[in-house]
Amino acid sequence: MKSGSRVFGFMSTYPRLSQLITVMMFLGAWEIVARFFVDKMFLSPPSRVYSEIDRVLNTKGLLQALSLTLYELTVAFAIAVAIGMAIGLSVGLNAFARRCFMPIILLLYGIPQIVILPLFILGLGIGPPSKIAFGVTHGIFPIILAIVAGVQNLKPVLLTSARSMGAKRWHIMRYVVLPHMMPSFFSGLRLGMTGVLLGVLLAELYVSTAGIGYFTGLFTQNFDPTRLLGLISLLAAMAIVLNEFMRTVERRLSRWRGND
Amino acid sequence: MQDQNVSVHIQNVAHSFGVEGHAKHVRALLDTTMDIHRGELLALIGPSGCGKSTLLNVIGGILSPTTGTASVNGKPVNGPMPHDIAYVFQENALFPWNTIIENIRLGMLFQGVPKSDHEGRARAALKAVGLSEFADHYPGQLSGGMRQRAALARALSLDTPVVLMDEPFGALDEQTRMVLGEDLSELLSRTGKTIIFVTHSLGEAVFLADRIAVFTARPGRIKEVIHVEEPHPRKASFMTSDKFNGLRNRLFDLLHDEIRKTVNLGSGSTGGF
Repeated sequence: MKSGSRVFGFMSTYPRLSQLITVMMFLGAWEIVARFFVDKMFLSPPSRVYSEIDRVLNTKGLLQALSLTLYELTVAFAIAVAIGMAIGLSVGLNAFARRCFMPIILLLYGIPQIVILPLFILGLGIGPPSKIAFGVTHGIFPIILAIVAGVQNLKPVLLTSARSMGAKRWHIMRYVVLPHMMPSFFSGLRLGMTGVLLGVLLAELYVSTAGIGYFTGLFTQNFDPTRLLGLISLLAAMAIVLNEFMRTVERRLSRWRGND
Repeated sequence: MQDQNVSVHIQNVAHSFGVEGHAKHVRALLDTTMDIHRGELLALIGPSGCGKSTLLNVIGGILSPTTGTASVNGKPVNGPMPHDIAYVFQENALFPWNTIIENIRLGMLFQGVPKSDHEGRARAALKAVGLSEFADHYPGQLSGGMRQRAALARALSLDTPVVLMDEPFGALDEQTRMVLGEDLSELLSRTGKTIIFVTHSLGEAVFLADRIAVFTARPGRIKEVIHVEEPHPRKASFMTSDKFNGLRNRLFDLLHDEIRKTVNLGSGSTGGF
């Protein structure tokens, strides 16, 4: 009892350290389970994944696959952002459009899209276009929703005030609506990015002859958990770097919120 | 055709919200005609929902009246007139994502002031309201009183002959209002601008205004106009003078009956408080 509360007190004083300890404990548990309790055909300990990471990178065709997936991700994300912004702004800024289309958008968002993946393959083939399209349909909804939400809670007095000072339509867009929605726009981008990643990888896993999804499938079928987990770690590291980059940009743009 | 001395002319302005004959139809302001002179400080005071803010918004071009016209400096009002009218709103209307000086510069950008003038005019306006040191703060880092000063600085930087203020100190505490009122009297008497402001505070109306238009309960019309013959800038000592108290009491008597009416109606369809 006494020691429990002391541990808790310690953790709350050093949140960063506690974070580190949690991660270490997880890795430790994984190491032990993988070494002593699970068949090594199914699971590799993190130490081995780490030491054999070069085996992943040296896999023939993997770097090309990585760059193909990155290409698909980039294109899908760009399309999702462009279309998502256009839809989000036109729906969010107009009360009629919002009442009319928001329920439809929410309904579509609610459908588990994996059930229509075969249609994408059928229509767009097994190459990159179907992966990009599937990434777009996954990434676009969080972006639309974030923009609609971000545009909506704008204080009317700010608009009135801008107009009374002579602001033109594009002034209001550029200097009022855009900065106002920036924070939720960025969380939308982050969620959209996750969605795009999910869509593209799902489509690659389902059917493909290239890309990261193809290799995760390949490593799994070959009972090579070391390389599989190595690849996953690389992907996770990439996702984390990207996410942190977005958060830094976001923090810079929403400095006015904090009290620095 | 019009008196050169008249800054704002209101001719038979009336306004209703909603469609006539409909249950939600509300007559906010009855036929109102009035002239406001150059350099004059006019206070609009009356019970809630009496149409005083409606009148202010008509003059500011934010609302087009059901009937009648308003004109500013001889030009009919058909929408916002950024070169003639600057607005200070009740709520904090500063852009929270811009610093104070960015807010002021943005107003000038909207209005169309050449970029080269922005910095100098923004600094001058900040100095006038005593916020020079806070130019690079965000609105969220300032107190309510300082934010309203900043909003005032933004309005002043636009260099318009007319300034409209809708309960500019409404959200502030009594002490802050008093000090800001003194500063405002001093500042505005120097600039020679025409000021129309809506207020709920009797003391504020008497302390700041040259004329006070007292509104009846809804549907509102001007019941009486009180003249405050006291030169600007007014000192704090004016607030404790017999003259001040006499005017304030008169205002109280005029308003008391009207406010009673709205309170008794309050349980009805108006929904206001």
